[in-house]
Amino acid sequence: MLKIQNLDCGYGRMKVIDAVNFEVGAESVGLFGPNGAGKSTLIAAVMGMVRPWKGSIELDGKRIEGAETHVIARMGVALVPQERELFPGMSVQDNLILGAAYIPHAKDHTSDQMEQVFSLFPILKERRTQYAGTMSGGQQRMLAIGRALMSKPRLLILDEPSLGLQPSIVAEVFEVLKALKSTVSILVTEQNVRESLRAIDRGYVLENGRIVLEDSAEGLKTNPHVIKSYLGL
Amino acid sequence: MNRNASRILAALFGVLAVTLPFFAGDYPLQVARNIMMYMALAITWDMLLRSGQISFGIAGLFGIGAYSAILSVIRAGMPAWFSILFAAIFSGVVAFVIGFLILRLRAMYFSIVTLALGEIFRIIIHNLHDFTGGPEGVVIQKGVIFGGNANSLYWLVLAGLAVALAASFWFEKSKIHFALTAIRNNEISAQSSGIDIFRWLLLAFVVTSAIQGLLGGIFVQSYGFATPDAVFSADFTLLPLAMALLGGVYSTTGPIFGAILLGLASEWLKLKIPYGHLVVYGIIIVIVILFMPQGLRQLVRRTSHSADGRSA
Repeated sequence: MLKIQNLDCGYGRMKVIDAVNFEVGAESVGLFGPNGAGKSTLIAAVMGMVRPWKGSIELDGKRIEGAETHVIARMGVALVPQERELFPGMSVQDNLILGAAYIPHAKDHTSDQMEQVFSLFPILKERRTQYAGTMSGGQQRMLAIGRALMSKPRLLILDEPSLGLQPSIVAEVFEVLKALKSTVSILVTEQNVRESLRAIDRGYVLENGRIVLEDSAEGLKTNPHVIKSYLGL
Repeated sequence: MNRNASRILAALFGVLAVTLPFFAGDYPLQVARNIMMYMALAITWDMLLRSGQISFGIAGLFGIGAYSAILSVIRAGMPAWFSILFAAIFSGVVAFVIGFLILRLRAMYFSIVTLALGEIFRIIIHNLHDFTGGPEGVVIQKGVIFGGNANSLYWLVLAGLAVALAASFWFEKSKIHFALTAIRNNEISAQSSGIDIFRWLLLAFVVTSAIQGLLGGIFVQSYGFATPDAVFSADFTLLPLAMALLGGVYSTTGPIFGAILLGLASEWLKLKIPYGHLVVYGIIIVIVILFMPQGLRQLVRRTSHSADGRSA
């Protein structure tokens, strides 16, 4: 699905991502690391929002580094950005419609997709005429995920989906990701390693722009470095 | 206001606008013509604003349209009718070219550049003396459109307004609406939803600029002359902007109400306070923007929204 090789990128003269190799197959992959490790930059590079300095990014064998964001989105990569991820002045329903309206392979399946999203997040159905900006943080995050799913993605990328949410909502979000795993490849960046380990198959640890660790979810759970730095045991 | 009531109101307005020359005198007709001209400009300004881009370049594209219309008649012997169409096309093409350069800019940077471009156009026209007539401008000596008949000129401006209205409704009712609103709300989410931001902005910029050029062409044909100071006047930027803000932005109805109110108010003030009407005019705008940041349309929406029982 997604294959990143020897990727360097950064801002100005500052290198943020340093020789990263990374892969997401038909699976759910976590990308962990502290603040400033470069997780969001790596995502931005995949989405075409940051231009790589070196290396390649492939989607199903096609090189996409340097492509424009909307083109990457139309190839089947959906992003749930870290914050301010909605169109606050639009209704819940319009936000969802918009998720599909400009994606050629999704726009004819809008109502089916919407039913599916409503079954994942029943609260969105209840609130479908409400302005997105008036909903709680957790509901907004669900809507953002719902909107991303509307585009019938092959790869769903979530940038810190648990950020700023109360624990019960975090658990709900990861339950949904777990349920989605069988239908779509998932890449999720997180600082909440404990919760996300339940929803992923495999994970990478990114520190100072380098991948320092790569293992299965089980392996990460028992890794001394992960336990000490991320699980706080 | 329910849907049927607003439809009937709109139809009444339409009939009134079309039949006005049959019963109104010269002065009201002239006032109406002015208001319609500014109303159309206000609508086009709002259309681009729906994408979040604030243009201060209305006068620039209006002036380009005005000069391309009048020069095509004087220098190339183009028929008056066709020159108005040519004005729209020419302004559209100019917008297409500069759009490529400036639509990567956002917020204040875009606004300032559009303001500067308008000024650059004015200076170019000012200095190409042999071709444009320089600061003294140019006059159509013969072949004035409709022989200068005031009623026909009124309908010509009304037709220009109709084009702006049609375009605005098209923007509101089609996929363009979603795209522009998404871009205004959040560019990152818009891009990640597959929206080609640059293409939609370019479309909005070219369409609105072409209509501004069309209106410039109509303006210049109905007066039969153009000078740089007259057609690139800051009024053509500032009044439409004030009207849209007053009426309420991101809609077609807002600029319509704003233009009618501000247009009538300015005429009335001109009669009541010949010296100082502009001060009062300015105060009205300041008060409205302070207390009704979403414009007068906010009042209408408030009353209609409380009725549909949203659980916000």
